[in-house]
Amino acid sequence: MLWVDKHRPKTLDKVIVHEQVAQNLKKFVAEQDCPHLLFYGPPGSGKKTLIMALIKQMFGAGAEKVKMENKTWKIDTGTRTFDLELAMLSSSHHVEMNPSDAGFQDRYVVQEVIKEMAKSRPIDAKGKRAFKVLVLNEVDKLSREAQHSLRRTMEKYSASCRLILCCNSSSKVTEAVRSRCLNVRVNAPSEDQIVQVLEFIGKKENLQLPFGFAARIAAQSNRNLRRAILFFETCKVQQYPFSPNQVPPPLDWEQYVSEIATDILSEQSPKRLYSVRQKFYELLVNCIPPESILKKLLTELMKKLDADLKHEVCRWAAHYEHKMRLGSKAIFHLEAFVAKFMSIYKEFLVATFG
Amino acid sequence: MSSDIRKWFMKPHDKNAGAAKPSGTGTGAAAAKKPVLSIPEKPAPSSVSGSQDASARRKTSKYFAPKTEKDSDVTDKSLPKRKLHKSSDQLEDDSKPLAANRVLKAEEEDDDDDFVAPSKRKTPVKPPPSKKLKAASNDGDEDERMDEDAKTPSKAAGRGRGRGRGGRGAVHAKTATPDDDVGGGEDRMDEDAKTPSKSTARGRGRGRGGRGGGTAHGKTTGLDDDAEEDRMDEDDKTPSKAAGRGRGGRGAGSTPGGRGRGGGGRGFMNFGERKDPPHKGEKEVPEGAPDCLAGLTFVISGTLDSLEREEAGDVIKRYGGRVTGSISKKTNYLLADEDVGGVKSNKAKDLGVPFLTEDGLFDMIRKSKPAKPPSNKHENNSNSEKLQKSQMKSSPVKVEKRAVEQVSTMDKSIASKSEIASTNNQKAKVVDRGSLQWTEKYRPKVPNDIVGNQSMVKQLHDWLKSWEEQFLHPGQKGKGKKQTDGGAKKAVLLSGPPGIGKTTTAKVVSQMLGLQAIEVNASDSRGKADSKIEKGVGGSTSNSIKELISNATLNYSDNRTKKPKAVLIMDEVDGMSAGDRGGVADLIASIKISKIPIVCICNDRFSQKLKSLVNYCLLLNFRKPTKQQMGKRLMEIARKEGIQAQENVMEELAERVHGDIRMALNHLQYMSLSQSVVKYDDIRVRLNSSAKDEDISPFTAVDKLFGFNGGRLRMDERMDLSMSDPDLVPLIIQENYINYRPSAVGKDDSGVKRMNYLALAAESLADGDIVNVQIRRYRQWQLSQAACFASSIVPAALMHGNREVLEAGERNFNRFGGWLGKYSTTNKNKRLMEDVHSHILASQQANVDREALRLDYLTLLLRQLTGPLKTMPKDEAVQKVVEFMDTYCLTQEDFDTLVELSKFKGHPNPMDGIQPAVKSALTKAYKQGSSCRVIRSADQINIPGMKKTLKKRVAAILEPLDESLPEENGVASAEGDEDEASDAENDDELAPGDSKPKLDLQSDKKKGIQVHLDLKTNGNGSSAKKAPAKSKASGSAGKAVGGSAGKRKR
Repeated sequence: MLWVDKHRPKTLDKVIVHEQVAQNLKKFVAEQDCPHLLFYGPPGSGKKTLIMALIKQMFGAGAEKVKMENKTWKIDTGTRTFDLELAMLSSSHHVEMNPSDAGFQDRYVVQEVIKEMAKSRPIDAKGKRAFKVLVLNEVDKLSREAQHSLRRTMEKYSASCRLILCCNSSSKVTEAVRSRCLNVRVNAPSEDQIVQVLEFIGKKENLQLPFGFAARIAAQSNRNLRRAILFFETCKVQQYPFSPNQVPPPLDWEQYVSEIATDILSEQSPKRLYSVRQKFYELLVNCIPPESILKKLLTELMKKLDADLKHEVCRWAAHYEHKMRLGSKAIFHLEAFVAKFMSIYKEFLVATFG
Repeated sequence: MSSDIRKWFMKPHDKNAGAAKPSGTGTGAAAAKKPVLSIPEKPAPSSVSGSQDASARRKTSKYFAPKTEKDSDVTDKSLPKRKLHKSSDQLEDDSKPLAANRVLKAEEEDDDDDFVAPSKRKTPVKPPPSKKLKAASNDGDEDERMDEDAKTPSKAAGRGRGRGRGGRGAVHAKTATPDDDVGGGEDRMDEDAKTPSKSTARGRGRGRGGRGGGTAHGKTTGLDDDAEEDRMDEDDKTPSKAAGRGRGGRGAGSTPGGRGRGGGGRGFMNFGERKDPPHKGEKEVPEGAPDCLAGLTFVISGTLDSLEREEAGDVIKRYGGRVTGSISKKTNYLLADEDVGGVKSNKAKDLGVPFLTEDGLFDMIRKSKPAKPPSNKHENNSNSEKLQKSQMKSSPVKVEKRAVEQVSTMDKSIASKSEIASTNNQKAKVVDRGSLQWTEKYRPKVPNDIVGNQSMVKQLHDWLKSWEEQFLHPGQKGKGKKQTDGGAKKAVLLSGPPGIGKTTTAKVVSQMLGLQAIEVNASDSRGKADSKIEKGVGGSTSNSIKELISNATLNYSDNRTKKPKAVLIMDEVDGMSAGDRGGVADLIASIKISKIPIVCICNDRFSQKLKSLVNYCLLLNFRKPTKQQMGKRLMEIARKEGIQAQENVMEELAERVHGDIRMALNHLQYMSLSQSVVKYDDIRVRLNSSAKDEDISPFTAVDKLFGFNGGRLRMDERMDLSMSDPDLVPLIIQENYINYRPSAVGKDDSGVKRMNYLALAAESLADGDIVNVQIRRYRQWQLSQAACFASSIVPAALMHGNREVLEAGERNFNRFGGWLGKYSTTNKNKRLMEDVHSHILASQQANVDREALRLDYLTLLLRQLTGPLKTMPKDEAVQKVVEFMDTYCLTQEDFDTLVELSKFKGHPNPMDGIQPAVKSALTKAYKQGSSCRVIRSADQINIPGMKKTLKKRVAAILEPLDESLPEENGVASAEGDEDEASDAENDDELAPGDSKPKLDLQSDKKKGIQVHLDLKTNGNGSSAKKAPAKSKASGSAGKAVGGSAGKRKR
């Protein structure tokens, strides 16, 4: 098993990084009740870990008996009926799902699953925990319609159901939904915290960490704890005992993106643009989300860019990222960004060096 | 050799046409002037004059650019030598050897080719003999050739070019012919080569011309001429496809690196832009006597002084002349204002065709105005005489023949073609104009009246004739499954564009065979029979078809000899839709049981609706008749109706309606209401506006948008082009816009401007994508124009110009949009990824989302999976990897997915360095493990969007576990004990290592299998008891099996 899973804290007590948050959550466990929660924070900061730990502690082992199923809902929109399928993880106490997978029909999923949950309200002799928890992932990717339908159902069925929403950016969750939840910000762990975690793991695994090694990994992980631990293990696989100046190998796709950045900077021509398009396709085909590509590409370009251009290039990157979200064919927008960059950069080069 | 020179001339001209132009035009024009002007003074009346005439012109060659002597060694070579030479030039021109081969063949087949009936020779287009350059004895042949030549109007241009190629190849050899100063390459500019840059052509011409001039004399061998002619004929006969290919190959001329003759597409962008005439619009087109050019055939070459080529063509046609794309013996004049030394001019010199300048043409027209100037060699009166004569001659024999036409004559498809106006004028005038529609009035009565497609008519005829023997052998009556030979089909499907006589053919043929035609078309209900059919015909009208085909009384009463047999004509089968639910399926069923032949008719054979029907039918594809074929028929009708018209006018009409003879007749009838003389201009004006829309392929549309003249298109034209396929056109544009060098950029050394244009175009494409989302997702279809504007028109307007190749080995044609393919691959991979993801989730070891799985996990996962296989000893490695896979519930497929997803082009394959032996050992070990592997849970999970059937897999997994079925109860109870024990042991422990999972495989009929995975640790009493109970239930149901905790333990 990978370390990142092996050493995942199973209870709120064992959490190292977000101790403060964990302490607060423990109060809910003590109360055996909780409001709707909205966890938000960058990837690899520990949202899911906290949520799962919370649920497990609140419901005990019952929450661990999980089954994975592919549920079908019959949706009747009035004009037509259709079946909607969605994979979900469920136990007798909670349901976890990713409603944005349903595309633009996500709102039906949200409504239906909550209603169904309300119907099968668990009966508890002690009158406690008479609710189920619905964990919705990637709420920021929910369509606006789904979020609107969420806001009413959240209140209506609050007696029988608690929502735990999980997302990367709370800004994409509507105000109305946000105000109905207790917002829990899970920020990215600081590098010190990451080092702390890595050392903890190192101790558990009986490893000798050279001085500064953990710090180097932490720096490279971009404050993503998951990535840091994965890097750590990659290093272990790569070479043990660690050499003092060992660096983890880059992620395959990041490496590819930085190659693209080098390509772009070395030549700005239609031909190069064409070859860059091929490489973009390569990345997209390999399931790399276009947003990540654009972001990584921009960081790579920034490294070698003249200070004068940085501001403009950033602006265009933002422009095209925005358009990319509005549109559906990511490659068009990626390419447009590269074309724009080439045009700006070439002009700059010609103006500077003639 | 010549191609090298061409290149040299082309590049500089392309880049800075302005700089190179002045000198080019100066010398070129000056040089060209002379030979051209010399024509009127040099009548060249006899057949011998070929060389003389040429020699006169040869003198002018000294005006051309300095000559190279290189070619002089090939001067006296005759045909074989030329062939050799050509093949040596193969690099530049792949099609040449082919052409050369064809020459030989054509020569042998010469007689066979001239299959036109003798009566043809009396066509009115015959030019006056004085103008002939060949011996009079050749006249007949020439005419035939001409007809052959022009038979395919749409093809003519392409043909011209294709031939041009061969012609150019021949240039070296033909330097023997003294006319060579008007060099090759010219043909490239013929009217269809939309955009040849004039400067390049001229440059080329000059270079070659010079060389040609150097090689002083030679012989114009008759052999050569014939060969040329024949080849031309050959070319004509090849269908449009071949022509297209030739053209495509031609495109290679502008780009080095041979592409051969592959690929369709018109490749506009490959040609330099033809320049505007230098004095455009400055000269006034003179008025002339009507039909003053009648009977003359012109070929236009190069850029004229003041007229666009199309205009020049119009002028000629207006005065009764005719314009062809390439030179043949019948050509009277080559209209050219400067000698650019192309194939056309070479050929003209070979054949002794005189040159004519634009001014000369105007003079000719002007002179005709007052009276008939004697100096003019082609007086209109002589022509009209000729015309008259031909009409007189138009054989009465023919009429008779037609009357007695019989079935057996059908295969003489040419016969009908050769039928020209069989009634004389006087008679025509008597014809009163009834109220009957002409389309009905002149509907063909016998098969030979049908214009074109005679072979189809014949096939249909044969099929109908043999139908009965084939399918209704006595004794085998009833079921229709006895298709005696595999190829025979019980029904026939006629397809082709509207208005070319499909329905008529079906009717006429069946009539001729004495079959009673029952026509069912879209106006009849053709839906699927409902169950009430038993109630009889009165109860339901919906199934007349079934009635028709199965009701014996209709066809075969007892005395079947007397009753006429029937044939069912299903018209407009592709129109079977909405109202005719299940119509096609029902039709197929009908075909199977039918006792009478069924003829189906449709426009689009490739329609989705007809996919199934096509398998049951003999396919007969009707083509548009050529404009000559149609022209003749129209002339005939016009005469009968007393309309005066030239044949070329009728041909023009035929061309404008794109082969739709019904439409042509309608137009003609309409025009006949107001005028009795139809002139060329009438047709032009009338049909310009109401031109029939033609289907345009997305590639053609993109070619046009990006083409050199893309900037000159009107906005509505662009709109039409990009709307021709609003889905595909933007994709093709997006795929290819990078390849174009925008002509709007002009001088751009650094490439900055082009880059800016690219950025703008890309931005616009991205906008188009956003608008498209609005359209699709929110159904804002009113935005479709905006979408089309942003995604097609703006990028095309920015980038239109010359296409260039970005990758070595790529062909210079627009690629198909790559997005579709990549999108589908992406989706496939996403599904696979989702598979892996759910497996990992089901393993309960990790709880990651998909993105993190791909972005962060994948690298390490792969390392864990492949690393040991590369470094460790085989058995150990395999064991380790299998263990790891089991931990995360990864299957063999997941393994492959992970490998697949981390493959990047240009990066090493993650599987490199793994011995095949190790790989197979892994597979083996994994398969072995699967028998005792209880949790293969995630396999069973249906992933949304994945429509694969799981049955087989489920069976494979369940099998080994079946053995445990009988002891299910025992296990369950044992589990219960264990549970309690473990409860006691680990109260609060949640560590996964201590978990003793037990699982249920519950099968659910609808959903495949649902996996229930219980992690039993410190479960309280109720849950612990519930679980065994459940497994019992499922065990007894016998649908699924549960495993024991012991087995599961790892």
